[in-house]
Amino acid sequence: MLYLQLFVDGVVSGCAIGLVSISFSYFYSVTGTFHVAHAGIYTLCGYVAWALVAAGAPFIAALMLAVLAGALSGYATQHVLYQRLADRQASPLVMMIASIGLLTVLQNIVAIVFSPNIVQFDMPWRVGHLDIAGVTLSHPQALIALVSIVIFVGLTVFSARTDLGKRIRAIASNAELAEITRLDPKRVFAYVLAISSAIVAVPAVLVGVDQAMQPYTSLIVLLTAVVAMIAGGIGSLPGAFGMSIVLAVIQSLSVALIPGRWSIAAVFGIFILFILLKPEGLFRRRFSRAL
Amino acid sequence: MNFFLSFVILAEIFSIAALSTNLLMGIIGIFSVAQAAIMGIGAYTVALLMMSGVPFFVALLAAIVLCAAVNVISSLPSLRLAGDYFIITSFGTQLVATAVFINWQGLTGGASGLFDIPLATIGGWTFATARQFVLLSTLCLVAVAGSFWLLMRSPYGRLLHAIRQDEIAAVAAGRRVLRAKVGVAAVSGAYAGIAGGLYATYISFIDPTSFDIHVSVLVVTMLVVGGARTLSGSIIGPFLLIAVPQLLAMIDLPSTLLGPMRQLVYGLILIAFMVWRPQGIAGRRL
Repeated sequence: MLYLQLFVDGVVSGCAIGLVSISFSYFYSVTGTFHVAHAGIYTLCGYVAWALVAAGAPFIAALMLAVLAGALSGYATQHVLYQRLADRQASPLVMMIASIGLLTVLQNIVAIVFSPNIVQFDMPWRVGHLDIAGVTLSHPQALIALVSIVIFVGLTVFSARTDLGKRIRAIASNAELAEITRLDPKRVFAYVLAISSAIVAVPAVLVGVDQAMQPYTSLIVLLTAVVAMIAGGIGSLPGAFGMSIVLAVIQSLSVALIPGRWSIAAVFGIFILFILLKPEGLFRRRFSRAL
Repeated sequence: MNFFLSFVILAEIFSIAALSTNLLMGIIGIFSVAQAAIMGIGAYTVALLMMSGVPFFVALLAAIVLCAAVNVISSLPSLRLAGDYFIITSFGTQLVATAVFINWQGLTGGASGLFDIPLATIGGWTFATARQFVLLSTLCLVAVAGSFWLLMRSPYGRLLHAIRQDEIAAVAAGRRVLRAKVGVAAVSGAYAGIAGGLYATYISFIDPTSFDIHVSVLVVTMLVVGGARTLSGSIIGPFLLIAVPQLLAMIDLPSTLLGPMRQLVYGLILIAFMVWRPQGIAGRRL
């Protein structure tokens, strides 16, 4: 029974990491920018919702505003920072260092404006739980599982079916051709980061509700998500989402064998195995982008 | 005067760490945000050995060897695959190292760290005060900087530059690229080990936060502010950035905000340099 509980906990936290992973992967596979500051936007959105709830806003409104804050900060990041660097022919290394700078700035703005300490949402329903066949699921956990699957399916459908989704895929496969055919990659890159950042706001808030938040922990979440993206095959959204769940389940079950504080080492170990044995990921034969 | 000397000592120690990062990031073009972790391994090695009675010089040599080995091992999976995999390996090395420093309590003292690390002594000379220690740190910096300078002027150094510019061409010209990369990782690790060993004996107290991801980002900031790829850049950067906390101390801030404020300033400096001057003050284009 313990193992079943750990398994379910793993699946739920895997769904949350899966959203981080697909949102990172979506932006990365389109632009090739290694957007470390994604973790900073994650932190920012979580704290925006926390501050709104603390100020008396209803939770749904706080979540929506956090998503909006994510979309706006994502749009601004691409528009003000990454595009400017790209216009100056900055190398990927320079983009990456700028992104680390932005991550540092966002985390510390959160620490200064909100709180450098661990905070929890002040809402009575977050401690309630459901009992299904002997497995306990807290209300936030149930919400995470449900919302994550909806968003994952939504993004897949959006990418495959809508005009903007197709335009994004066209640009991802050949940015120069897209420029010539007036698909306007610069504007679309900003849309993509806005969409990614709006998505990442959801797990940021919900995981914050389920557990607690601290300004500097989001980098570990992002690292797990990126490892899942690589293991799943870069550019494959189902691969990234699925591998996030697999990784989180392994991490959760490993608690039965090794103390939980070593779980970061476990994730990293899996990553090393993957790049040694199967660097192209499970669900993709070849890279679309030079790595 | 002591205040100024301890500023110089810290800046010199971080110059050595910056040169270590410079070898990887500036010279051969491998991203690294784990140099604080390697430096930490050096610091813990020197501290633990000296606390069990090993002389400073031997402890420092052990740290150099261990750090070179760890830097090579941690980068080995990625040396064959260029580019973005190294980003993950690098972040991963840093985060795992911090987890080890915190959780291996029997050895590292956990979150409270190690204190009362003995003073550095070489052949009857004890480096106790800042005035004495500055000799040791300057000597080490001169040795590291000298080896860096010689390395860059050697045929090996030219091969490293060639690898950064066009790895495939270097392979096609019959150069052993993998061997060169492993060699650079080893030298870079050795530098970080020296920096860590000096840090441990000078401060005489180390804990996991002395070598966490923020410190690694600080070393990267020092490198890009001073300028990558040049010797002078790696020395200018640390001297400027170690002064930032001193300047912030003049503003009257509550103590809980001091750390975040300092980090915020570092982050803003990093972004500003990447946007307006990616080559830094005295470096070349990254």
